[in-house]
Order: sequence, then C-alpha cells, then structure tokens
Amino acid sequence: MVGGFRWAAMFPDEVWEHVFSFLPADADRNAAALVCRAWYRLERRSRWRVFVGNCYAVEPAAAVRRFPEVRAAAIKGKPHFADFNLVPSDWGGGAEAWVEAMAEGWPHLEELRLKRMVVSDDCLELIARCFKNFKVLSLVSCEGFSTAGLAAIAANCRYLRELDLHENEVEDNCLHWMSHFPESCTSLVTLNIACLEGEVNVSVLERLIGRCPNLKTLRLNHSVPLERLVGLLHRAPQLVDLGTGKYAAQHHPELFSRLESAIAGCKNLKGLSGFWEAGPTFLPAIYSVCEGLTSLNLSYATIQGPELIKLISRCKNLQRLWVMDLIEDEGLIAVAASCKLLQELRVFPSDPYGAAQPISLTEHGLVAISAGCPMLHSVLYFCRQMTNAALLTVAKNCPNFTCFRLCIMEPHTPDYITRQPLDAGFSAIVESCKHLRRLSLSGLLTDLVFKSIGASANRLEMLSVAFAGDGDAGLHYILSGCKNLRKLEIRDCPFGDKPLLDNAAKLETMRSLWMSSCSVTLGACRQLARKMPLLNVEVINERKRGLPLELQPDNCPVEKLYIYRTVAGPRSDTPSCVWILR
Amino acid sequence: MGDQSNSPSSSIDSSSHPALCSTSSIFQTRRDLLSTDLKLGLGLSTSALHGCSSKEREQLSHWPPIKPLLRSTLEEKVHRSHSKTFFVKVYMEGLPIGRKLDLLSHNGYDSLMRTLRRMFRTTITCPDTSRVPPEKAHVLTYEDEEGDWMMVGDVPWEFFLRTVKRLKITRADKC
Repeated sequence: MVGGFRWAAMFPDEVWEHVFSFLPADADRNAAALVCRAWYRLERRSRWRVFVGNCYAVEPAAAVRRFPEVRAAAIKGKPHFADFNLVPSDWGGGAEAWVEAMAEGWPHLEELRLKRMVVSDDCLELIARCFKNFKVLSLVSCEGFSTAGLAAIAANCRYLRELDLHENEVEDNCLHWMSHFPESCTSLVTLNIACLEGEVNVSVLERLIGRCPNLKTLRLNHSVPLERLVGLLHRAPQLVDLGTGKYAAQHHPELFSRLESAIAGCKNLKGLSGFWEAGPTFLPAIYSVCEGLTSLNLSYATIQGPELIKLISRCKNLQRLWVMDLIEDEGLIAVAASCKLLQELRVFPSDPYGAAQPISLTEHGLVAISAGCPMLHSVLYFCRQMTNAALLTVAKNCPNFTCFRLCIMEPHTPDYITRQPLDAGFSAIVESCKHLRRLSLSGLLTDLVFKSIGASANRLEMLSVAFAGDGDAGLHYILSGCKNLRKLEIRDCPFGDKPLLDNAAKLETMRSLWMSSCSVTLGACRQLARKMPLLNVEVINERKRGLPLELQPDNCPVEKLYIYRTVAGPRSDTPSCVWILR
Repeated sequence: MGDQSNSPSSSIDSSSHPALCSTSSIFQTRRDLLSTDLKLGLGLSTSALHGCSSKEREQLSHWPPIKPLLRSTLEEKVHRSHSKTFFVKVYMEGLPIGRKLDLLSHNGYDSLMRTLRRMFRTTITCPDTSRVPPEKAHVLTYEDEEGDWMMVGDVPWEFFLRTVKRLKITRADKC
C-alpha cells in the first residue's frame, strides 16, 4: 500500500459496501475491517449479520454500537456441557442485557437466534414490542420463558416468518397462545413447536396454517393426536419438513388410509421427524414419500429393527438419518446398502443406563456404514463396544469426516478384543480425516491419543473429552497443538495445573475451555487469571463447604472451571456458586 | 442453531496476543487453620472408576451425555411400559378355560376393567359404584398371596400388583 495515498477514496463508499456485500463470512469481514480505518468504517456500517459465539465475550452495547445496521443476530450462552446438566442452573446466559441493547440500537432487527440462553417472557415481550420488522425467532436449548411470552410474539410480530422452538424448556401457562396470531398473520414459513409440552388447540392451528400458504416447515408437539394430523396435512400439502405429533392411535384401517393419502399428498416432503410413541402400525403410511426424503429423524421412536429396515430401505435419497440403536448392526447394514447419499448419521441409545437386554449395535454397524456410504461426513454413535481395528477401517473408508463423535457408554472401555486402549483407533481417525472439525472421544484412552490429536488435528475446532488420559501431558498435547481449536470441554480427566499455565496464551486464541472433575487447583486458576487479563476465569463450586473461595488456599481443588476470552471484563451477573478470578 | 455453520467465534476478533505478565509471588494462606478435606472437591477420580459396579455407575453424574429431552422420553417409556410383563390367569365362572392377561400393560383399574369387559363380553361392576349390580352382572375378585379372595379395587393399584395371584369373575348375586 502506498504510504499517504488514501486509496480507499478511489471509490465512493457505496461501491466498497457493494464489494463487501460479497463477503458473507465473518472471518473475511473481520479481516477486511483490519486493513485500514476507512475499511473498518465501511465494513461496520455494512455488516448486517452478526454471530456472537459467547454472549459474555463482548458487551452488548459495544456490539450494537459497532455494527449499527444489523438485521440478523445469533447469540450463544451457556457452555455445551449445560446440555448434560453439568452447569448449574443459575450460572447465567441471561438474554435481557442483549435484548435491551438490541432494542435500543437495532430497531430494525429482523432475525434473532439464541442458543442455550435464559430468555424470560419479558424478553419476548420486548422483542415483540420493539422490533417492528421482526421476522425470525429461533430459540434452541433455551429456558426461562412460557407460552405467555409466545403469545406476545404471536400477537405483535406482524411479519413473523419463522418461529423455531427447538428443545427448549417452556412453561405452559397460556393454553391459547396460538390464538394470539391475528387473522392477518399469513406469512409463516416455519413453525416448530415440537418441544412444547402442553396441549395445542389443533383447530386454531388448522386455521393458522390454512392461511399461511408459504408454510414449509411444521413441527408439531407430542400432544397433537394422529387423527388430527390428517386435517393439518390437507391444509398444508406444500410442506417440505414435517414433524408429526403423537404417531400412535388405536389401529383403524380408515385412519390408516386417510393418513396415508394425506401424507402422499405432500409432494414436496423432504424431511420427517416427531414420531412420538410410534409403533409399527402406522409407519407404512409414510412409505409413499420415502423416496423423496433427505432427512429422517426417528430418535424418539422406539421402533424395532425389522420395521426400521423396512422403512429406511425405501429412503434411497436420505442424507441425514437420526435413529435409535434399536436399528442394530443389521439395520445399519441395510442402511449402508440402500442410502448411498447418506451424509450424517446419529445413533442414540435406547437404554443408556444399561438396565435392559443388551442391543446388538456394535462396531460392525459403524464399519458397515463407513464402507457403504461414500458421502458420510458426520457421525454421532452411542454404543457399548469398539475395537481399534474397526476405527482404523472407518478412518480409511471415510477420510472426509468433518464431525466424529463416538460415545462408548461405559467409561474406560478398552478394545474388547485386544483389551488395548483405543488410542490407535482415534489416532487413525484424526490422521486420516484432515477436515475434521469436531471430535468426541470415549473409551479407554492414554496420553498417546492426545499426542496424535495435537499433531494431526489441524482443522479441529471442537473437542470433547471424558474419562481419558493419564496425566498432564494429555492436555499439554492438545493445547500446544490443534492450531484451530476453539472449544475444548473436558470432564473427569487427570489433567492438572501445569498444562494450563504452560499454555495460557493458547486460551486466548480459543472461545472457551471447560474442565470439570479434573485435577486443577485454585492456585493455578488465580495465576492464570492474573497472567491473562483478557480471559474470564470462572471457578464453579456448587458444594459451598467451608470458607468462601477468596480465603481458600491455593491447593484447594476446583470442581468446575470455565475459561473464556472476553473484551468485556468480568460479568456482573454471577450467581453465588461462580467466582470470577482476577 | 444447526444452520449456523462454521462462522468464527466473535465478530470482534482479537488476533493479537497480549504481552504475558510475569508471575508475581503467590500469597500463602495459613493452611493450618483449614481442615477441609481437599480431596472431596475432585469428584470422581479416574482410578475410582475402574471396576465400577452398576450401583456406582448410577452415581456417575450425567453420563452418558444425552440431552434432557431424550432422557425424559426414555424414562417415560420405562415407566409406561416395563420390558417386564406380569401375566395372571383370569377365570370366569361357568367357563372352563381361563385367559391370560398382562397386568403391567394396564395403568390402573379402569384400564383393567375395560379390557376384561371386552375379553369376556360382560359387564363387570366395580366395588366403588353405588348402584346395586343387576342380576346378570359380574364382579371381579382376585386371589392374593395369602390365598384369600378379595374384591378388586379395594386397594391402591400398585399394592394390588404386588399381591395378586389370579383373577376370577363371578356372578354378582353369588357374593
């Protein structure tokens, strides 16, 4: 760049903004903003989509100030392990601060997507009141609100296109919330209420979807009976994505044929989910649309293997399959033979606590899928046994994995044939899969696997570790390697102070680190906090025994530790079980 | 947020490393005043998990990692329909051959009565109805673990399940 020449002035601002509009990715926009002050100024005025991966990484007001033209915001709150109840319920992640700042600075906001945040009804009412052009509300794994808050959204967001409620805990105190959608509401494209526990007034729902001709996604909740599904489908034959309600009823040949024809009438159906309480009786009603399906979620349907095979073998174009381990190896072999376009497979445990008869879902199923499905790149697999040989085969068959999450349900399970740790198997995965972005480990693992991961997993962004490793070396390998690591979550591993302190700088290149039931002491956390002012070092101690944390000695063990980079300093909404060290 | 793919963590990205501060001396607290058992805070150590019994496994907090919705769906399934069954024989007076009935597939007396009425095509009155049973109706009795014949419906359902051995449908005017 020629010094002194204000080359950015070569073109008027509008031209540069137009150029920047071709940079959708935040990384590219961030890079552009660093080039010079003019570009910083131009870029910030033209950014209309913002993603905040950690709600505490920046002050809401600062974000709103920097990007005044934002139309779409996505914000994440609690750490991932909150999904498994490891994070205290009062930890934080409240949405008020953000919603208030956005109401103030982004009155033209159209889309808001929140994940793992505590959203109150007040927040929902504020959203409904302040954003005149609001179109999309997506709440994933959130809590703190009720159907009364949803009523406010329904009543006031005149141009609402998407109401996407995914796996939230919603209090049911307003039975008729859906009646609050005015007759003039005809713009819905997505309505996902699958997580609501309460009764839904199906007649109101029928009228609502009847007047929304652009409705593409409809996911019902468990309370909608199968008989009523027929009527709903007749009113929305243009659906692309359907989540059924309760998929069981007294067997009735008339109901079956009405259901079958209603489903067949949905010629654009690509995705199916729901299937609460599904049994074999009504499954064949969806056979007519199987060929067109790209996504099938049967993870709440405890249907046995043979029925599953009959169903899934018809789904020749399936790209995504979520299913219970009742499918067993035999079922997965059938999937491998039929679903050649499969990209993503998730197999969930039907019996996670091991009380019933063991299921015949083993490493063989995984190997079969890896061999038969050349486009497979994302796997989540719960099972009870594994071998290094199987993992080596999978690694060889699937070098294109982007996400590999294996959960062998019993901690410390070795290769059941050789009795060796599964280091070799997971090492093969990371060495073969050069594009691996997400990895979850399980089984018996020594520090060796971490050496491989640190050395080979160059694109890895998220790593989940539980009951693994021998000592500090394991964590050191990860933190000193894994160039692109963003999120690291660890539980029940013998990792201590030394690797944390030796790799303190690394933590600032990551979004966050979670460690629970490891061997970290308070002293190390204090040191880390002093050394790294741009990190919030949160010590979570739920047992509240003895002295307050400030007076505990350095060798006091830390139950749970959450460290994240931030430019906002320590947050002010910590509950009594959380200390932010300085 | 399945749609959010691979955008980097924060729109405000800091790619520069701050200068590392030198460690200052660590303030030593007086340990002799503290008698807390420091090991308690560690939770389950890895060595404690080798050879874990199933009882200890129950205490393994929040493992395996499944989301609350799936967990509650599975728990509901377990409560609603145990993989176990509990078949008892049911005889109706006048019929030589008894039928078998899985009591665990019912969740209470109402459900049981409905099934039996359908099975035996007769009206069976419950003891809590105040109406005097008509001549042709039947009543349901059961043999308990002590060999006594009792009226069905007198005790709570769960208790009934624990003590019932077999069922008999007898004519109302015989009781």
